[in-house]
Amino acid sequence: MPILVKYKVEAMSLLIKGGKIAAEEGPLVPGDVLIVDGVIAAVGEGLDVPPEAQVIEAEGKIVAPAMFDAHVHFREPGQEYKEDIAHGTEAAINGGVTGVVMMPNTSPAIDSPAVVRSILERAREVSRIPVYTSGCITKNRVGGELSGIDGMRQLGVVMLTDDGDPVANPAVLKNAMEYATPFGMFFASHCEVAELSGPRALNEGKISYQLGIKGSPACSEEICMDRDIRLAHAAGAHIHIQHVSSAIGMETIRWWKKMGAEVTAEVSPHHLIFNEEDIGDYDTHYKMNPPLRRAEDNAALLEGLKEGVFDLIATDHAPHSTFEKEQDFVSAPNGITGLETALVSLYDRFVTSGQIGWDLIVKRYSAEPRRMMGLEVVPVEESKPADLIVFDPAGETTFSREFMRSKSINTPFLDQTLQGRVELVVRGSEILLQR
Amino acid sequence: MARKDFLDIASLSREEVDLLLDQATPFKELFTRSVKKVPALKGKSVLMLFYEPSTRTLSSFEVAAKRLSADVIDLDVPHSSVAKGETVKDTVDTLQAMRADYIVVRHKMSGLPQAIARQTRASVINAGDGAHAHPTQALLDAFTLREVFPDLSGRKVLIAGDILHSRVARSTSSLLLKLGVEVGFLGPGSLIPRSGPEGIRKFTDFDEALRWNPDTVYLLRVQMERQDAQYFPGVQEYHRVYGVTRERLDRIQGEGIYIMHPGPVNRGVELCHEVMDYERSLINQQVENGIAARMAVLYSLKPQTDLEDADPGKI
Repeated sequence: MPILVKYKVEAMSLLIKGGKIAAEEGPLVPGDVLIVDGVIAAVGEGLDVPPEAQVIEAEGKIVAPAMFDAHVHFREPGQEYKEDIAHGTEAAINGGVTGVVMMPNTSPAIDSPAVVRSILERAREVSRIPVYTSGCITKNRVGGELSGIDGMRQLGVVMLTDDGDPVANPAVLKNAMEYATPFGMFFASHCEVAELSGPRALNEGKISYQLGIKGSPACSEEICMDRDIRLAHAAGAHIHIQHVSSAIGMETIRWWKKMGAEVTAEVSPHHLIFNEEDIGDYDTHYKMNPPLRRAEDNAALLEGLKEGVFDLIATDHAPHSTFEKEQDFVSAPNGITGLETALVSLYDRFVTSGQIGWDLIVKRYSAEPRRMMGLEVVPVEESKPADLIVFDPAGETTFSREFMRSKSINTPFLDQTLQGRVELVVRGSEILLQR
Repeated sequence: MARKDFLDIASLSREEVDLLLDQATPFKELFTRSVKKVPALKGKSVLMLFYEPSTRTLSSFEVAAKRLSADVIDLDVPHSSVAKGETVKDTVDTLQAMRADYIVVRHKMSGLPQAIARQTRASVINAGDGAHAHPTQALLDAFTLREVFPDLSGRKVLIAGDILHSRVARSTSSLLLKLGVEVGFLGPGSLIPRSGPEGIRKFTDFDEALRWNPDTVYLLRVQMERQDAQYFPGVQEYHRVYGVTRERLDRIQGEGIYIMHPGPVNRGVELCHEVMDYERSLINQQVENGIAARMAVLYSLKPQTDLEDADPGKI
C-alpha cells in the first residue's frame, strides 16, 4: 500500500455518531461530533444528520483529541534503514498521534538552520501530519560550540537538546541557557553522567548482577537531572526532563517544582509498564536508556503521572533494525519503538484497570505536549479544528509485523494482542486512518 | 536430558544437575584406563569458538570432545574473518553451513552464547560469557566438592575475591545453592554486589568469614585485566586483607578447610605460594574433573542438527 494516499472526506461533512467524548478534564461525555470543512461544527447528543454527511457509527467508542508525541527519533537524515520521516509519521498516525517532535541525534545532527530546513522540507513532501524538530544545544552534540540558535529559532525550533549525550560541561550548558532563553527557547535533557553509566545497558542492581553486565545506577540519571534543573533555575531557563525512570528522579522533579523552578518532565509508557525483571534471558527489546528499573519505580512513576509531577507522556520512539537488536544484549543499541503502541498499551495496562482515565491521557499525551511546544490544543469542541481519533475500547490490536508501519519492529509488544484499538484518525478535512 | 544448549546454571533443574554429576563419574573412571576414549560422539563435530584467550578451558573442552571421539575444529578467532569485522551472527550463519553439531563459545560479552543459541540448531555450550556464567566450571566444582563431601547438603563454601566481575562466582554459587550448600561471599566492598543475589551471606572481613566456619574456601582469580576502574588500592593490600596469607593458611590448615581455585592462580595476590602444596588444596582435582564434567555435558546435550525439515536458523 502506498503510504502517501490522502483520503479526502468524500462528503463536505463528517458526522461521528454516538461516541463518548474525552477531554483533558472531566469524565467522558456522550455526544455526536459534526465536522464541516475540517472544523468541528457542532458537538452534542442527537445531532441531525446533514443530508450530504458521511456518518461514522461510534456507539460505545471514545472520541478523543489526537495525541502528540514530543519525543521521537526519525533517523533521517543518516540512518534511514531504521526509520525515516515518511514511515515514522505513518507509524504515528497508526497509533493515533498527529504531531511529533523529532530529536536531533541524526547524522548530520540537527544543529544548523540548513539541516532544520531540509527536514522540514522533507516532512512537507512525505508527511500527512505536522513534524516539528528540536535542535542541538551544541554543534554536532559534542558539548563544545553553540549551535546556530537564532537561525533555528527562525525556522520554528523551540526545544534545544543534545539528546543522548548530555552537555558534560555545566558552564557550557549554563551559558547556552542564558543565551537562548531570551529567544523564547527551552531546554530538554536526557539525563546521565557518562562516567557512572558504564555501557548503558541496564539498571544497576539485582538483574545486572544476575546477567553479569555492569549496570547504570539510577543515581547517574538523578545527579544529571538535578544538575540540569539547578543550572536552568540559576539561568532563568525552562528545562524539560525527558523519560524519567526512577522514583527518586520523580521526587527530584516534584521538589524542584515546589521550589519554583521552571521545570517540566515526561514519562514514557515503557518506564511505566516494564521493569528490569522483564529483560529475562537478555531480551534486547527491553534495552533502552535510561534503563528499565524496578517494580517500585513503575509504581512511583504512575503516582507521579497521576499527581501531575509529569507534565507529559512521550514515547522516545527509537527504531532499530532487527539485525541490530539480534546482537547480544551489551552490543545491541538502546531503544524501542513506541508511536504505534503507546496509546493502546496505556489503555490496556492502566485505563481498563481504572488506574487512570481518558482525561489524564488526553491531558498528558495530547494537550500538554502541544502547549509546551507553543501549539494550539485540539479539544473536541465546537469551532475547533478537527484533530481527533475514534478509539474502540472493546476492540483489540495485534502488533504484528504487518500491523506496524514504522520501518522497525523493535518493540516488546511485537506479536502481542492488547485491548483497545485506534479506529479512525481525522485531521482537518482528511481521514488519515480508518480501520 | 532433552536440552539442546548448556548456557547457564539458573535454567537447570535439580534433576538435570544430578544427572550430569552422575554422568561425570564413569567418564572420570575412564581416565585410569589405558584407552581413555569412548565412541559416543563418533561422527559428530565440536567447534571451538573462543573470542577470549583461554588455555585451560579450551584444552579441557578439546580433550573432553576427543575422548568422546568427536571431531574438533578450533576456529582460530584472532586470525579468522571475525577479526576482519564479521559480526557474530554472520559467523554463526557460516558455521551453520559447516554443520557443526556442538559449538563451544567463550566471549567477553555477557549473553552472547544465548544470542548464538537462538540462531543455530547446533548445541551451544557456554564456556564463559563476560561476567555472566561459566556453567561447566560450576559443574566441575560441584563434582569436585562431592568427591570430598558425598552429601553436600548443609556444607558451607566461602567464595572469596572479585565477586562483581566473576562469572565463576555467579555460576558456582548458583549451582551449590541448588545442591543445598550454604554459600558465603567475601571480598572488598567495591567488588561485592550490593543488591542480590538472595540467600548468600556477604562478608568484607576475612576473619569474620572464617568464624562462619566454611568447609571450603573458594578463591577467585583477581582479574586485573577486567578492571575498568580502581576497585582496591593495590595487590599488596589485597593480599593482606582478602588473600590467603601464610598466617591465614595456618588457620585454614588447623581447621581442616579445603581450598579451591578455578585457575590460573596469582601467587602473592589471592593466595601465598604455600597454598599450592597444601594437602587439602583441590586445585589439581578441579582441572582433571573439568574434563569429565565437560564430557558429561557434551554427552547429554541433544543437538537439533539432524532435523532436516526444520526451519534453518530458527530453532
